[in-house]
Amino acid sequence: MELVQVQNLCKSYPDAELGEFKALDNISFVARAGEVFGLLGPNGAGKTTALRILATILQPSSGTAKVFNFDVTTQADYVRHSIGFVSNNTAIYDRMSAWEMVEYFGRLYALHSDHLYPRMEKIFRKLQMDEFRNCPGAKMSTGMKQKVSIARALIHDPPVLIFDEASLGLDVMVARALQAIVLDLRDQGKCIIYSTHIMREVERLCDRVAIVYKGKILDTGTLPDLANRHNQNDFEELFFELLMQEDVDLRMQRSPVSLPIAGVSPALRPSPFGSNR
Amino acid sequence: MNWSHVKLIFHREVRDQLRDRRTMFTICVLPILLYPLMGMVMLQVAQFHREQHVSLGVFGYENWPASRPLIADSDETQIHWKKLTVTKEIRETLGQLRILENNKGSETESKAPKNFIVDAKLAEKLLKEVQADAIIWIPKGYDGTFTSTQLVVLSNQRWERSQLAVRLLAERLDSWHQAAVRDRLASTTLGVSVLDPPQIKQVDVSVPESKRALIWTKILPFVMLVWALTGAFYPAIDLCAGEKERGTLETLLCSPARRKEIVWGKLLTVMCFSVCTALLNLFSMHFTTAIVMTQFSNMGATEMVHSLGPLPIQSMGWLLLLVIPISAMFSALALAVASLARSTKEGQYYLMPLLLVGMPLVMLPMIPGVTLSPGTSVIPVTGAVLMSRAMMDGEYTQALLHLPTVATITVLCCLLSVRWAVRQFESESVMFRDSERSSVTQWIRNVWRLRDETPSVNESFFCGLIILICLFFGRLSLGGMTLEWASIVKSTVVIQIGVILGPALIMAAILTRSITKSLRLSRPSAMDMAVTIGLAFCLHPTYVAIATAVSNEYKLGEQTTAMLTQFDDIIGSTSIWYVLLVLALLPAICEELVFRGFLFAGLMRNGGHVRAILVTAVLFGLSHGVLQQSITASIMGLVLGWLAYKTGGVACTIAFHVVHNSISMLLAASSHNKQPIPQFLSWALEIDDGRLCYSAAWSTLSVGVAISLVAWTATRNMKDRRTNVQKSWGRVAKEAKQAIAR
Repeated sequence: MELVQVQNLCKSYPDAELGEFKALDNISFVARAGEVFGLLGPNGAGKTTALRILATILQPSSGTAKVFNFDVTTQADYVRHSIGFVSNNTAIYDRMSAWEMVEYFGRLYALHSDHLYPRMEKIFRKLQMDEFRNCPGAKMSTGMKQKVSIARALIHDPPVLIFDEASLGLDVMVARALQAIVLDLRDQGKCIIYSTHIMREVERLCDRVAIVYKGKILDTGTLPDLANRHNQNDFEELFFELLMQEDVDLRMQRSPVSLPIAGVSPALRPSPFGSNR
Repeated sequence: MNWSHVKLIFHREVRDQLRDRRTMFTICVLPILLYPLMGMVMLQVAQFHREQHVSLGVFGYENWPASRPLIADSDETQIHWKKLTVTKEIRETLGQLRILENNKGSETESKAPKNFIVDAKLAEKLLKEVQADAIIWIPKGYDGTFTSTQLVVLSNQRWERSQLAVRLLAERLDSWHQAAVRDRLASTTLGVSVLDPPQIKQVDVSVPESKRALIWTKILPFVMLVWALTGAFYPAIDLCAGEKERGTLETLLCSPARRKEIVWGKLLTVMCFSVCTALLNLFSMHFTTAIVMTQFSNMGATEMVHSLGPLPIQSMGWLLLLVIPISAMFSALALAVASLARSTKEGQYYLMPLLLVGMPLVMLPMIPGVTLSPGTSVIPVTGAVLMSRAMMDGEYTQALLHLPTVATITVLCCLLSVRWAVRQFESESVMFRDSERSSVTQWIRNVWRLRDETPSVNESFFCGLIILICLFFGRLSLGGMTLEWASIVKSTVVIQIGVILGPALIMAAILTRSITKSLRLSRPSAMDMAVTIGLAFCLHPTYVAIATAVSNEYKLGEQTTAMLTQFDDIIGSTSIWYVLLVLALLPAICEELVFRGFLFAGLMRNGGHVRAILVTAVLFGLSHGVLQQSITASIMGLVLGWLAYKTGGVACTIAFHVVHNSISMLLAASSHNKQPIPQFLSWALEIDDGRLCYSAAWSTLSVGVAISLVAWTATRNMKDRRTNVQKSWGRVAKEAKQAIAR
């Protein structure tokens, strides 16, 4: 069952240098129930923009995006009830405890006390948050904050969960725990859109993946499909080659005489990643 | 709107703010501590305060008439006299002092000259040497008549004590002189009674409470509004910029709460803290004053206590009524401005200008003579303050009379502020603004490279600002010209072409790709043109009525009235064709090309036609130099803006403007020349007090015709638009059918 359908989605911003900056350039993908769909791309590729459109925070310039068959533009209220959004900056109120924060969002989702508190207890137990349920946000570690963020996203039991570089800044232990939570949610039948630029996470978590670069989806498929299509078993190499090929194509479009750099050793190529890698 | 969301957000934000120690200190603790601390300091200062005494040196006191001494032996005044004898050292200093006679040498004890030079450095040295705050020099031969001789007083006006010494000396000399005159009059037949002024028996019927209220009604609204503004600042910054900084806003934006609900929740929080801060200050100030005044009363300062005792408690009720709408307005403005910031630090920078804009409106009611009137009641904040003051003074009839205006203006301002705040929250560019790069060269290159067919909103605002600034300096530089026809022509041409049209044309050429579209030059339909001209004729009586009402409300100054009369005289004595060319046609073309052309085109962007009409009307009004003219011009600007929007160009508004100006000039010229009313216009015009004006019949009828024309224009255009939409949908449907068939 396709819970997320993105069709020819474009998003442009006015830009002082270029006049118009295309953050998303005609991207299309679908994500199904019970799968983790990865959006893999370097920083500035357009992953966050796409996810923000799915979360109804931004409006698309053109194209359509549907979540649980609700249009993100015209049926934003329904979409918001159908998603849980976990962002990379944890987004925790400093002066609220974990319990208060999750309760607040539960109330915003109009959950009745009879339903809200048992669910909170269940989520707190599942995510092992009981120890710090009364701890204010300012005193929480990054791992604790991310758990609260996940609990907040899960409180209304949405069918679609969006993780926007959720493992950013987490230590190995917490990142592992996060991955376990994501896989558990997938097993519960949730549709998970997981944005990242970490290869190992993709390999470990994602059932299907879309490689995003400069606002475009370069390729989509399962990891074996991608490996077969591009004749490359090393996923990191595959990723690099796709990005380099795109750069070459863009250069050729701008200036057809410039030389391709596909043959250059990966070690000598400029890294597409930013400082977060 | 889901009010349960608003309630939830409000509760969370309030709880969050109450847990923030910095906010709590600024908003709650500071007001409670501030006034008692201030009161304590005042009491301490009062205890140490003594009457200030000054030391006054006198040279040559032996020259003063012995019959009536200046210094009494039992002198207990503030002046400590120092009779100075000219010692050797002082003589040396005095010798160097160079109080020179024009023709003679430097004999200090001689008769004082009419003109002399004082070496300031040496004079200061002398004052320090004799340890006096001021020195009076009585020359030889002084007879106390103040006619033939001149007393010289050396002082240093940089020293406060020296200023006081001179003032006290002047008072002493004056009283001495009065007594001398009395003595002389007593010896004549006139008698002393001629000097006595009429006896006045002053009976003050005010009760002490109302006298106290008079002072408080001026001070308290100011104090309360300043604190209401301050109280809105910190929560607004924390709730917008702070949330952006922490990343929590993004989470809230994808929750079921809509933007409007988020804004209302936050607005109520900010307002709550704004009101609380204002009230806490008010109560703290009230109780502290009550205690301090009791102390002063015990210390014997009864006069002060009578005039500045604690505020009558019933007056505070009216202040409570005032604080709620004003806080709502300030809170919405603070929230909208704070939403522009990405961090709390940036928010503080943005809110400072808001304080600077708000301050004059709060301070205006404190100016002596500013009272509640139809004119002041339409000024936001000021009207509300003046109304609460009227209530506190017990002028209930006056207050109730202006209540509808004040309430309408305040509610309107509140709604506009809230709407602005909501729009800020709905704007992606505001909510997810990236850090901007500050490369001037890049910016200049982009301005040229990325220019559009019409100006942007910011470019329009910038152009309006440039024009207003140029007008200010242009008028100042042309202000010294004598009022004659040649100078009127010169100033009109310079102002209209150089100052108003010039910047807009330059900007249109540089910043846009199409001057025609930027200036909204398009061919109007014959019907639009005919209706517009008809409207100009029909609305002129209404304009005259409004202008008269405005002049009655805001009286013209004597100088302005005289200038306008002189202006009418010049118009009357000049060929009417020249007058129409220079004062009707030229301003109409220039002003319309700018205000309903360039500025309107930019402000119309993104469906901002209401913004375009309102802003251009205000700018058009401000471009007129005289306040009374500005008000009426703004009203006409609304009509012109609406016409510009409806007709889609400036041609019709130019025609309207030309007709309007021409009628005004013709009426003024005909009135001046005392021309008889032509027979065919006798139904529309009449002569009143030597001036041509509209007959009551035409004034009434014209309103009806104008309304009909406006309604007809509106309906016709709407119908046209609907037809266009229907046509386009029809075309789409047809194309779709063809596609399906294929």
